[in-house]
Amino acid sequence: MQLGDARSGKLTDNLSGFARALRRAGVPIDSSRIALAVTSLQEVGLSRKDDVKHALECVFVNRNQDQEVFNELFDAYFRDPEITQKLLSQMLPKAKDANSQTKRRARVQEALSSVGKTAATSHKKDLNIDFDAAMTASDRKRLRHADFQSLSASEFLLVEKLVKEIPFELPVIQGRRVVSHSKGQQLDWQKVMRETQRFGGEVLYLPRLRRKPQSLPLLLLVDVSGSMERYARLMLTFLHQATRKSPRAVFAFGTQLTDLRAAFKMPDSDKMLEMVNSTVNDFAGGTLLGEALGELRSNHSRLVVGRRTVVVLISDGLDTGSGEILSKNLSWLKQRCRSLLWLNPLLRFDAYSPLAQGAVQLHHHADAMLAIHNLSKLEELANSIAQLLKK
Amino acid sequence: MTASAQINSIDEVIQALAGMGYQADRRLATAVFLSLRLQRPLLLEGEPGVGKTELAKMLAKVLSRPLIRLQCYDGMEQREALYEWNHAAQLLHMRAAQSRSDIDTIEQEIYQEKYLIRRPLLQALQEPAPGAVLLIDEVDRADEPFEAFLLEFLGEYQVSIPEIGTQHAVAMPVTILTSNRTRDLHDAIKRRCLFHWMDYPERERELAIVRAQVPMASEALTLQIATFVARLRSQPYSNAFQRGPGISESIEWAKALVSLNTLILDPEVIHDTAGILFTQREDLAALAPLVNELLTPE
Repeated sequence: MQLGDARSGKLTDNLSGFARALRRAGVPIDSSRIALAVTSLQEVGLSRKDDVKHALECVFVNRNQDQEVFNELFDAYFRDPEITQKLLSQMLPKAKDANSQTKRRARVQEALSSVGKTAATSHKKDLNIDFDAAMTASDRKRLRHADFQSLSASEFLLVEKLVKEIPFELPVIQGRRVVSHSKGQQLDWQKVMRETQRFGGEVLYLPRLRRKPQSLPLLLLVDVSGSMERYARLMLTFLHQATRKSPRAVFAFGTQLTDLRAAFKMPDSDKMLEMVNSTVNDFAGGTLLGEALGELRSNHSRLVVGRRTVVVLISDGLDTGSGEILSKNLSWLKQRCRSLLWLNPLLRFDAYSPLAQGAVQLHHHADAMLAIHNLSKLEELANSIAQLLKK
Repeated sequence: MTASAQINSIDEVIQALAGMGYQADRRLATAVFLSLRLQRPLLLEGEPGVGKTELAKMLAKVLSRPLIRLQCYDGMEQREALYEWNHAAQLLHMRAAQSRSDIDTIEQEIYQEKYLIRRPLLQALQEPAPGAVLLIDEVDRADEPFEAFLLEFLGEYQVSIPEIGTQHAVAMPVTILTSNRTRDLHDAIKRRCLFHWMDYPERERELAIVRAQVPMASEALTLQIATFVARLRSQPYSNAFQRGPGISESIEWAKALVSLNTLILDPEVIHDTAGILFTQREDLAALAPLVNELLTPE
């Protein structure tokens, strides 16, 4: 173990080196944590390696998902810090400078410079390598990237205009917090006291409180499979702008589920589309709604906790997956959300009835369905989403 | 005497907790020890039923400090967590005093401490030495504005009440926060705390826990229960269930089995009592075909 005694300052060096390594591996650590780590090691003592590990763990790790990274890196680092540094440097070419001050520099430098040369030729590729090698992009089924163009000026104006003009009622409930309001239900005792003092102990009127309306979280599931291809771009743009005021989570699905939450955090719609382009891998492919919902269930189930979320599913229901999985996952979703709304753009004929396998399931489980003839006109889309949310 | 004076090493934490019937592993004990020594709040996360709340209760007993519990819920406000004035009593006082004194005196009188209703956070601050164990339970259920307020409280351990003045902690409380991860807490609040992820215990520790909590159960039964539950939680069986049984479930199960005079586990008795281990119909249905397989020794 490289932990020397604290007096020579080697402990602090080692710890901050370790913290930097963790940080490069994606664990958020600030310098106050390093100071805390030093103090906690002084408390725990250095006699047992597992104590040191546990102590550092409760200081440095604050998310469950970082635990594995911490364990591996701790074992590697305190066996030989330089191996770790080298490993990490290979991952991020930038780390080269930060490394140049370590002891026994020449050897590492040599090793690093050869890494640097190869890195220079494939610079772009290297940047994409994650710490967790199991999740690299090459493992994924890559069907087709979305290729949304950025919005033309007129389209942008149209979207903005629609967002303003269409009365889009995002779902709200009466929250638990209260605000002052003349027609409220509860008495504002604190204000009664204040006002009473002003008028020499006389209660002249009774200030009231009202429960503050609170927007419900939205979960938007947008179908980007082949049959929905034409609508996806403007649909996403419109949703991006119109649901801005509600807490929302957006996912695209085709044969797999893509998390678009990061993209929807972009303030600008063009930036959002750009990010969607790079993240959606299964654009205009098939639809496996059941499997996509299964993924939502196992990885993001916390988004639909507490029966508050309003789930809006935009899909034509032409599902090619197993009906059983779909049914199971839909009933799971139904049980956990406040309402499950389905916007179905497949109603081309007046006599449409949901016959396709997926559509039958959706029809059975959804709280409300709205079928529309044509999604290509943005006005109609916007109106129908607004109408659906009112249901 | 402060907590740190009583407990001087990680081993002492383990021993003291074990003395109260709480089996802590060394990892958890290290986190508790550091939280006591560095006077930092300890954030415990983990699945329901792994003993987060129980730890705070036991810690209060070990340190012989009172446990003050703040149960969080959606929409919780400062007045429910910190303090509130007893407005009705104040009004009464005001009406009564109106005839005999002037406004300034009345004002002074109504903001006396006797009209102050102390809620858990203020109680924890005002608890005389050695201080309290403050349990802020299920902090993920409170909403974000409350979290921001908590941040301030945990950072300084002081609150200001405009009418009285700033209240500092008489003795630093030992603070335990628990979260079920229904949502992610803000990084800022995590930065204030030491973090510990509580996992289901390994078989040996579970055995010790059940043994300590349900001493009436026979040794053979306890062993079977611990093995059975451990296998339920392990691959590949855990995939079949939405939510595996926690420690509290296995303890409840052991108690139920004892009151049914069970000596040894068999498929029938498992079928009859499975409702204690699982609370969802789907999980119960998934358990039925696996029982025989789970009971066969490895």
